[in-house]
Formats: sequence, C-alpha cells, structure tokens
Amino acid sequence: MNKRLMIISIEFKLLLRNYMNMFFALFFPVMMLLLFGEMYGNEPSEFFNGRGGMDVMVPSYICMIVAVTGIMSLPLTVAQYRERKILKRFKATPIKQSDILLAQIISNLLLTLVGIGLLLTIGKIRFNLHFYGNPILAIIVLLFIILSVFAIGLLVSGVASNGKSATAISYIIYFPMLFLSGATMPIEMFPASLKKISNVLPLTHAVKLFKGIWFGESLFDFTKEIVILLIVIIVCMTLAIKMFKWE
Amino acid sequence: MNVIEISNLSKSYKKLKAVNNISLSIKQGEIFGMLGPNGAGKTTTIECVTGLKDYDSGSVHIHGIDVKKELQKVYEIIGLQLQETIYQDKIKVSEICQLFHNAYKNPIPYIDLIQRFGLEFKLNSYVQKLSGGQRQKLSIILALIGNPKLVFLDELTTGLDPEARRDMWAIIKGLRDEGRTVFMTTHYMEEAEYLCDRICLINNGELIACDNVQSIISQSGIESEITFISKNNDLKQSIVESGISSNVIYNALNNTYTIYSAEDKCIARTALLLESMGIDYSKLSIKRSTLDDAFIKLTGGNCKNE
Ligand SMILES: Nc1ncnc2c1ncn2[C@@H]1O[C@H](COP(=O)(O)OP(=O)(O)O)[C@@H](O)[C@H]1O
Ligand SMILES: [Mg+2]
Repeated sequence: MNKRLMIISIEFKLLLRNYMNMFFALFFPVMMLLLFGEMYGNEPSEFFNGRGGMDVMVPSYICMIVAVTGIMSLPLTVAQYRERKILKRFKATPIKQSDILLAQIISNLLLTLVGIGLLLTIGKIRFNLHFYGNPILAIIVLLFIILSVFAIGLLVSGVASNGKSATAISYIIYFPMLFLSGATMPIEMFPASLKKISNVLPLTHAVKLFKGIWFGESLFDFTKEIVILLIVIIVCMTLAIKMFKWE
Repeated sequence: MNVIEISNLSKSYKKLKAVNNISLSIKQGEIFGMLGPNGAGKTTTIECVTGLKDYDSGSVHIHGIDVKKELQKVYEIIGLQLQETIYQDKIKVSEICQLFHNAYKNPIPYIDLIQRFGLEFKLNSYVQKLSGGQRQKLSIILALIGNPKLVFLDELTTGLDPEARRDMWAIIKGLRDEGRTVFMTTHYMEEAEYLCDRICLINNGELIACDNVQSIISQSGIESEITFISKNNDLKQSIVESGISSNVIYNALNNTYTIYSAEDKCIARTALLLESMGIDYSKLSIKRSTLDDAFIKLTGGNCKNE
C-alpha cells in the first residue's frame, strides 16, 4: 500500500476508536436533530421566517460537526502526540512527522464527511429535509468553511504545549462557538448583546454563509462573511506554519 | 571501521551542560555501552547523535554521513528505541508494526520479528495493554523493522523484572551476532559488564573513561582483596618480602589475613607462597573489583547497582 495511504487508514481507525470524537461528531448532531426535529417539525413556520425548522438547523449542525473535528478532535490528538513524544518517535524513521499530521487532518476531514452524511441521511428520512441551493457551490463553500475551521485547529495544535492546554484552548474556542454562532441555536433568538459577541466568532460567519448557500441565496450577498473567513484562513495558516512546534 | 564518529559533542539546556565535549568512536559490529547514573546525559547524547535533538557544537557522523546535514539518510539505516515511548492511544500491535514496516525501503517482514520475539499472540492487542517486557520487545521489533545496520537502545532494560532483563540480554547479544552494531545506554553496571564489548562512563555530561570493561577496572587502579585464614600469625613479613603486596593486614580475632593488591596474578602468587612455606591455611579467596567500584573510584560518585 502507498505509504501515506497506510498512515491515513491507521490514523482514521484510531480516530474511530476514540469515543469522544465519535460522540460529538456523529451522535450529538443527530441527537440535536432528532430532539429539535420532534419539537418543531420541518413544516414551514413563522418562527423560522416561513422556512422548515430542520431545513434551517441542519446547515448549522453541519458547521457544528466541522467545529468538533477541526477545533476539538484535531488539536487534541496532535497536541497529545507531541506531548507523548509520538511525533518524535516517528521523526527517527523515514516516516515524516508531517505525514502523521497530514493523516490526522485527512482522518478528521473524513470523519466530518461521515458525520455530515449521517446527519443528512437521517434528516432526509425522518424530516424530509429540503435543499434549495446549488449542490456544487454548496460543496465548495463547505470545503472553504472546513479549511477555515481546520486552520484555527491547526494553529491550536501547533502552539498548545500539551494535551491539557490543547483541551483548554479548544474548549474556550469551541463551546462559545457551539452555542453563540448559531450552530446549535438560531441567532435570531439571541438578545442584542449576545449577537455582538456572536459576531466576533468565525463560526458565526461560517454558519451564516452556509445557510445562505443552502437556501440558494447568491454568493455575493455574503462577501463580508467570505472575506472574514479568508482572513481567518490566511492568518491562522501563516501563524500555524510559523509557530508549529514538533516537540 | 568506525560506524559512529562523535567529536567534541556538547549540548546545554540553558545553563546546564548536559553533554560536555564528548568524543567517541563506535566500531562496526560491537556492543557499545554508555554507562552512567540517572541524569548523567545518556539520553541527551543518544538524541543528539541520532539527530532528534540539535546539539550546540561538535560533530556526529554515522556511516560517514553527517547527521546535521543528511538526517533522512541516517534514518534509513538506523533503528532506535527511545527511553520513553508511548504509542498512539488504542493502536494495536499489528497496526504499529504495519506503520513502521511501511516506512522503510527494505524492511524485515514484521511478522518474522513478531515470531522471533514471541509476540504472535499479542498481534491483535492494544499496545497499551502489553506488559513492560512485551512493550520493550515491541520497541525492539520497531527498531529492527527497517533492517538497520546500527541499533540505538536507550535504557532498554530499566524497569524490567530480572527474567525479562535476561531475555533482553540474549536479544541484544543476538543483534550483535547478526552483524549489527549496538549503541546502548544503561545505568546497570552488571548489565554493561555482561553485555558490552566496550563501554564509556559518563557523569554530569562528561566522559570519564572509554575502553573495555577489564581495562577500565585496571585503569581505575582499584585493588583486589585476597583473604585467607591461618593460625600462623607471623606471615606478614614473608608476604611483603615476596613482593605480592605491601598492604597486608592480620586480624588476630578471626585469624584472617587480608592482602590488597592491584596485580592480576596476586592470588596465584599468594597460594604458591603459602604452599612453598608449608603453611596451614584455609578459605583462600579473592574479591576482585567490579565496574561499580571502578565507577565510584573514577567519579567519586555513586551508581545504582541492582
Ligand atoms: N528537555 C530538557 N530540558 C532541560 N533539562 C533537561 C532536558 N532533558 C534533560 N535535561 C537534564 O539534562 C541532564 C541529562 O539528562 P539525560 O540526558 O536525560 O540523562 P540520562 O539519560 O543519563 O538519565 C539531566 O540533569 C536532566 O535533568
Ligand atoms: Mg535517560
């Protein structure tokens, strides 16, 4: 087997054996979907501006999955690998440390896609989910969002000195994003003060952008969001590359 | 032929000189041991030599390759066991072996190594669940998968029970018998004495001696201790005059003579002397100095011996 492929397949297996990741990336979003889906249903409703409740929520749950894999799972694993000198052990072989990092990124990407697939399938079957946008555009935008969120995760992976600080940093970034970005609860429900905080979070803009594309709105209506995410990508990637600590 | 050439290697952590101007050559096909107490600088030396740590000054060549310049080439030909290696959570023995096996150009089939070290029944186990001895066997397997000419072992036997340690000793000798060169560190004197063709002593980052075990002991000038029992309390003079040693003590309470001598044949000469004089004696014995004694003498320090 190709060397890189082998590393990816093994790292992916390891990721699937981690119950925390499995729970937050696969089951938690589905749980939210089922919980709120049973409460609100997916009929067009005034509360959701005449849209189906789940049609509105699923794109944000998708962003939530991206945040779990990109900001929690990836940095935690990488920081742990560094702390336990696993990266160092691989340095002394023809395997490169960067191959392991790459395998972790791709494994988390795969897990993201599995999580999204599961969510969409159950949403379609249980709540007859509707998608109004252009699928190709949606996929491109999704990849763009994944890139920006993973860039944040890479930066955290690169600078966290150990698993504990990675956990702390990830939680500090992840949980506000989870609840304040609109990924779990619609922003429309927030009071003005919370909306302000919400606006600082990159994921808020990701959710807004992806929701818009999901409902077939024009990309040009979201220049602000795109620019913000682009800045996040550039800044985080540059810092991550500059500051990444292998030991 | 020298497989490793280390010259004037130094490495500091802030103010602490962990490795201080060390020069060493390791020969093809030998088991070379670096011996020193905890904190002496063994791990730092191994990590500098294998390019895992950047050293401050000096140079290291492995098979003629400059470690600072062509590290990747070095990693193709060496195998390494690090003092503390933890593997990925929930990785299985077979998986970590595949991972390493895949990395090398001409690997030894890992299943052969697994069989050789008797870990077949653990292939499907999580690495975390292995016993200490099994985990060390695994780390040797991983060090050998690339079929390296040169193997680095950092405190391979520390923390193992006596039986597992003896297993490891046999394995290390086996590596040499296959024609590999072994660079190992240990803080067990008797391990170094038993295994190593040559050793170096290191303390506080400095090289104290480097030679084969016997030469180091004689270099240290520690005397052997010969004792025998005789009711004849008048032998001191004869022993000194015979030139065996001038340092003779007679303990009248238990009729015991003690002779201190650095000379190799001192016990034979004592026996000959006693026989030729027709003396009635018993329990003639010698306590030769060990590497441990030599180490203490050379460093003025101490080294754990178990
Ligand atoms: N990463 C590090 N940072 C600071 N000091 C270190 C580091 N690693 C080792 N040391 C110190 O350097 C000295 C040598 O350590 P080490 O090479 O691990 O010794 P040994 O392997 O012989 O036990 C010790 O005093 C140790 O505390
Ligand atoms: Mg050590």
